[in-house]
Amino acid sequence: MGLAEQLGALAGELTSALAGVGDMAALEDVRVAFLGRSGKITEVRRGIGKLPPDERASAGKTINDAIVALEDQLAQTQRKLARGALDAELATSIDVTLGATATRTGSLHPVRTTMEDMCAYFERHGFAVLVGPEIESERRAFDALNIPPDHPAREGFDSLYLGGGKLLRPHTSPMQIRAMESHAAPIAVVTPGKVYRRDAVDARHLYQFHQVEGLLVGPDIHFGHLKGMLTGMCRELFGAKQQVRFRPSYFPFTEPSAEIDTSCPACNGAGGECRTCGGSGWLEIGGSGMVHPNVLRNVGYDPDAVSGWAFGCGVERIAMVRYDISDIRSFIENSPSFLEQLA
Amino acid sequence: MKTPIAWLRDYVDLPHDTQTIVEKLASLGFPVDAIEERPAISGVVVGRITAIEKHPNADRLQICTIDIGGEKPLTIATAATNVAVDQIIPVATIGAVLAGGMKIEPRAMRGVDSQGMLCSAGELGLEAEWFEDGIMQLDVGTRLGADVVSMFRLGDAVLDVDVTSNRVDAMCMLGLARELGAGFGVPVREPDTTVSYGGALIGGDLVQDGELVTDSFDSFDIKVKIESPDCSRFVVQRVSRVRVRTAKAWMRVRLALAGQRPIDNVVDISNFVMLETSQPLHFYDFEKLVDRTLVVRDARDGETMTTLDEADRVLSPAMLVIADGEGPQSIAGLKGGARSEVSAATREIAIEAANFSGPRIRRMSAALGLRTEASTRHEKSLARALTDIGAARAARLLEQEGAVVHMPRGIGAVVGEPPIIDVRKNQIARLLGFDLDNDAAIASLQALGFTATTMLTPELIAMLELEPDDIDEIASFEVQPPPWRSDVTTEIDVIEEIARIAGYDRIPTSIPAVRAQSIDSDAWRLQARVARAVAALGYHEVLTLALQPASIGDRWKASGVDVHSGVVEITNPLSEDQRYMRFSLVPGMLALPIDRMFEIGDIFAEYRGEHIELTTLVFMRRVATPRANAWSDDGFDALKGDALAFVRSVTGRAGDIVRATHAGWHPGICADITVEGKAVATIGALDPRLGAEFEVEDRVYVAQVMLDVLPAYVAPHYAPPSRYPGIVRDLAFIVGEHVAAAALEATVLGASPLVRSARSFDEYRSAAIGADKKSIAIRIGMGRNESTLTDADADAAIASTTILLQAEHGAIIRS
Repeated sequence: MGLAEQLGALAGELTSALAGVGDMAALEDVRVAFLGRSGKITEVRRGIGKLPPDERASAGKTINDAIVALEDQLAQTQRKLARGALDAELATSIDVTLGATATRTGSLHPVRTTMEDMCAYFERHGFAVLVGPEIESERRAFDALNIPPDHPAREGFDSLYLGGGKLLRPHTSPMQIRAMESHAAPIAVVTPGKVYRRDAVDARHLYQFHQVEGLLVGPDIHFGHLKGMLTGMCRELFGAKQQVRFRPSYFPFTEPSAEIDTSCPACNGAGGECRTCGGSGWLEIGGSGMVHPNVLRNVGYDPDAVSGWAFGCGVERIAMVRYDISDIRSFIENSPSFLEQLA
Repeated sequence: MKTPIAWLRDYVDLPHDTQTIVEKLASLGFPVDAIEERPAISGVVVGRITAIEKHPNADRLQICTIDIGGEKPLTIATAATNVAVDQIIPVATIGAVLAGGMKIEPRAMRGVDSQGMLCSAGELGLEAEWFEDGIMQLDVGTRLGADVVSMFRLGDAVLDVDVTSNRVDAMCMLGLARELGAGFGVPVREPDTTVSYGGALIGGDLVQDGELVTDSFDSFDIKVKIESPDCSRFVVQRVSRVRVRTAKAWMRVRLALAGQRPIDNVVDISNFVMLETSQPLHFYDFEKLVDRTLVVRDARDGETMTTLDEADRVLSPAMLVIADGEGPQSIAGLKGGARSEVSAATREIAIEAANFSGPRIRRMSAALGLRTEASTRHEKSLARALTDIGAARAARLLEQEGAVVHMPRGIGAVVGEPPIIDVRKNQIARLLGFDLDNDAAIASLQALGFTATTMLTPELIAMLELEPDDIDEIASFEVQPPPWRSDVTTEIDVIEEIARIAGYDRIPTSIPAVRAQSIDSDAWRLQARVARAVAALGYHEVLTLALQPASIGDRWKASGVDVHSGVVEITNPLSEDQRYMRFSLVPGMLALPIDRMFEIGDIFAEYRGEHIELTTLVFMRRVATPRANAWSDDGFDALKGDALAFVRSVTGRAGDIVRATHAGWHPGICADITVEGKAVATIGALDPRLGAEFEVEDRVYVAQVMLDVLPAYVAPHYAPPSRYPGIVRDLAFIVGEHVAAAALEATVLGASPLVRSARSFDEYRSAAIGADKKSIAIRIGMGRNESTLTDADADAAIASTTILLQAEHGAIIRS
C-alpha cells in the first residue's frame, strides 16, 4: 500500500472514529490514538525510513499535509462538542423565584437618615451643619432667645433641669446662639440634634427626640427666602408636588412667626378619612420666622444692618410621615424587624 | 378655646360656611383644633302658653294651648311639670326635627290630638343638665313664631380655637371677632358698655363712721387698697338692687355652647364678660364684706380661707389675695372665697376687675395645682385697659337685669394712651420680601383697631417733589395699637400685624444667595462617616434612651466594676425611671436582642462639679455559643477585625492592637486600637460581672470610640506591589504562652529586608507542645522590587528570621 493510500485510509479511519466521539475525553483518546507519540501517524512516519532518500523529503511533506488535515478534522469535532456543551447549558433552567439567600447588611437608623437628608438639602445651598452639646445653659436655651425668666413660653418648653443654670436643651436653638456668638454675620447653619422635654411618653410623644433647626442671617434676608427654602426642603423630603403653607404663629425668638404646613403626602392633601393628617390635608412640620431683633441684639448683631430667619422641625414627626410609622415609640424600641425593614 | 360661631356673629357678619371661617382663622394665626358640628334641628318656633288643662285620661299629662304667633293656637300635650301659663317656650311643630333625629308627627296622646311638642334644652342640642328640668324657658318679649334655631344660631358649629400665649386679648369672642372682621374686611360691632349711673343718687352711705370715705361720687363706700406691686390696677364698681335669678335665655345658650355651665344671672354675667372680653371678673356680695374693704396683699403665713369650690386652703405669702377687714375673700386671679360668695339672697355686689402680674398668677397657679379660666388669662398678662372695659360691660349687663350701677373706681396705675410706634415703611419690604402701598398697610392696621397715619401725605410729596425711591426711603407710619393690644410695642410687632392681615400667602417665595462663611461641618461629617463605616460592617444603628433610673448605676456598681466619675442627675425628673443621664451607652444596648448593633450618642458624667459630655460610638456583637477554650475567643477576633476595618475606613490609617485593661471590659480580653501610637478605640469582651448583673446570657463584645479623639482622615498612600513574583511561606513557631503574636510579627518584619509582610493567623495548643506553650502560625510574605525572588533567597531570609525569633522570643520552629 502506497503512502497516499495509507494516509487516505487513516483519514477514513479517523472519520469513523470521530463519529463515535461524544465528549472531550473520548476526543482526546482519539487524538492520542492517531496523532500521539505512539499513534497511527507515527507508524506511517516510520515508513519514511524505508523509502529511497530522494523520496523522503516529498513523503515527509505529504505526511505533514495529512497531519494538518487530520488535526483540522479533530478541531471540527472539538468545536462541535463545545457547541453541544453550550447548547446543553443553555437548555437548563432553574426556579429563579426560590427564596433568596439572605444578605447581611448593616443599617442606619431612620432618624439619622431623615436628619441627614434634611441637612443635605441645606448643605447643597451653602449652609454649614453644626452639632453641639445636649447640656446647655439656661442663658443660651432661653434668655438669649428672648425668653426671659418670667416668660410664659419658658414653661411651655417643659425642660429637664440639672441645677446651676444648666438644663438638657429643649430645642437645638442654643446652637444658633453659639454660632452667632462666635461668628460674625453672614451665617447660614443647620443644627441637627437630640433634644429633651419633660413629656410623658405616648404614641405621639417622646421625652427625647431630634430636631433640625436652621438659621440664615445676612444683610438682606427676608421672609420670602424662608418660604423658598422650606418649600424646597418639603419637596426634597416628600416629593416635587408638595404644597407648603405658612400660617402666623407665635414664638418669642421670631417675629413675624409662622407655622409650616405641608400638604399631607399620605393623601396628597385630599384630607377626608386620611389618618396621617386627620383629614385636614395638611401636616404641621415645624415653626419658623424672622429672627427677633432682640435675639440679634443679644448676640451683638445690629438688627438694622442684618436680618435673618430661623426654623425648627421635629425629625421623628417627619420620619413618621416618610416611613408611614404611626407610633413614635417605634424609634426607640429598636425592634429587629423595624431596623431591618427601614435599612 | 371653645368658640361658638353663633356667639362670634353677635359682633361681626361672617360667611355662612364653617370651613371658610376655619381657614381664615388659621391664616390669621388661630388654628382650629376641632370642629364640633351641631345637630340639625328644624321646625322649632317660639310659643307662649296661653292655657293649661288637665288631660282627661292621663294624670301625668297636661294639655297646653300655645300661641305661636299664627292665627290658630296649637294644642300640645306635655308630660313636663314645669309649665305655666304665659311662659315663653320652644315649640317643635309638626314636621320638626330635634337633636338626636327625633321627628315630630301629629299623634294622639291618650285620645287628645297633640300638634307638636314643647322642647327641653336637651332636645335643642344643649347640655340638658345645665338647663331647666323640663321645658326650656325663653325670654319674655321674644317674638312669637320666631324660628328658635336661627334666633340662637343653633346650627352653627362650635370651634376649638388655638390661641397663642401672646394673644390673650384674643382668648375671647370679641377678640376673635375682631380678627375675623379684619380678615374678611368687615366691620366689628363692639358690645354696649353704656350705663346710666345711679350710684351717686341712691348709693347712700356717703358717710361711714362719721367720715367721708372718698372724695368722689363713685363706688365710694368700698375702700380699696393695693399693697402689692403684682396688682397694677383694680377697678371696683358697686351695683345695687341686684335680683339673683336665672339668666336670660340668649346668655345661657351662648355660655352653654361655649362649654360654660349657666348658674344664675350674676355669675353668668361674670363668666360671659370674661369669655367676651378676656377680662376675668370677681363679684363679691357687698354686704358680706367686713369693713367694706378690699385690700390686695400677700397672704399671711398660715392664713386660711374657704374657696368657692369648698376647699379649705392654708395660704402663704406666695399667694396674692384680696382681703376684707377680716381676711382673704379671694385668691387673686384664681378663685373667689365662700364667705362673700354671691347667693340667691344677694342684693348688692362689688365688681372686681383687676390686673395682676402674669408671672405671679402663674406661680400661684402652679403652687396650688389649680388652673381656672381666669388664671389662664391672667397668667398671660392682660392689658391693663381691659379692667375698665370689663367692669363697664358687666355693669351694662347687670343694668339690663334691673340693677342700679354706681360709678366705677379705678385704683392703681392709670390706663394711659397706648404707645405711638414709629414704623419705617422700607422695613416692611426689607423683612417680608414684598411691598405694600401705604394705603394697604394702613388699612390692614386700621381693620385691627389700630390708628395709623403717615406724615407723607400726597400734598407733602408734591410739595417736596419726592421721587418714588425717596418716598420709600423716608416714608414712615405713626401707629397706635388699640388699648387691648398690649403685645404690640415695637416696629417689628406692627410689621407682623401687617403681614398677618395681608396674608403670608402673598409673600413671594425665593431662594436666597447664601454667602461664604467661616463655620465648618466637620463634627457632623465625622458622625456621618463613622455611622456609614460601622453600618458597612453589618451593624444596625439603634437609638436608646439617655435618661435612666438609678438602678442602672446601682447594678453597675454592684457588679464590682469601677465607675470613675459622678452621674449627672436631673433635678425635676418626670419619673424615677428618668432621673439620671447615661454614663455609658452599653447598658441600654445590652437590653436589645440584636446580634450586631451600634449607637452614636452622648454620654454624661459629673467631675469636680463640672458636667462632662462626650459623643461616643459603641458597636456591639452578641454571640450565643460559649467560647471553645480559655485561650482563644472567636467573638473577640471578629470584633477586632471589624474594629480594624472601621479604624482604617474612618482614619485612612491602619490601627495596631495593644493589650489593655479598662473598666467595663474583661480584664484578659481587652485591647486598645492605636493609630500612630495614640489609642483611638477600646475593644474587648464585656466584663462578665456586668453580663451577670445585667442578666445577659450571650457573650457580648464591645468596641467604644470617643469621636473627639479620632484622628482626622488622611488619604492613604498607594504602595504599588513589586512587578516581580515574591514568595509566601507559612511557618509555625512554638513560644511561651505569654508571648504576644504581635511581638513575633514585629520581629519577623525586622528580620530581613526581603520580608514584606508578617501576619499571625493561627494559634494552637496541645499537650504535645507543652502545658505553658503555644504554637503561632505566621504567614510571611517576601519579595524584592527589582528582581524575582528565588527559593534560595527566601530560604536565607527565613533562616535569619528563625534565628532572630529564637533569640528574641525563644521561639522554636515547629516541624
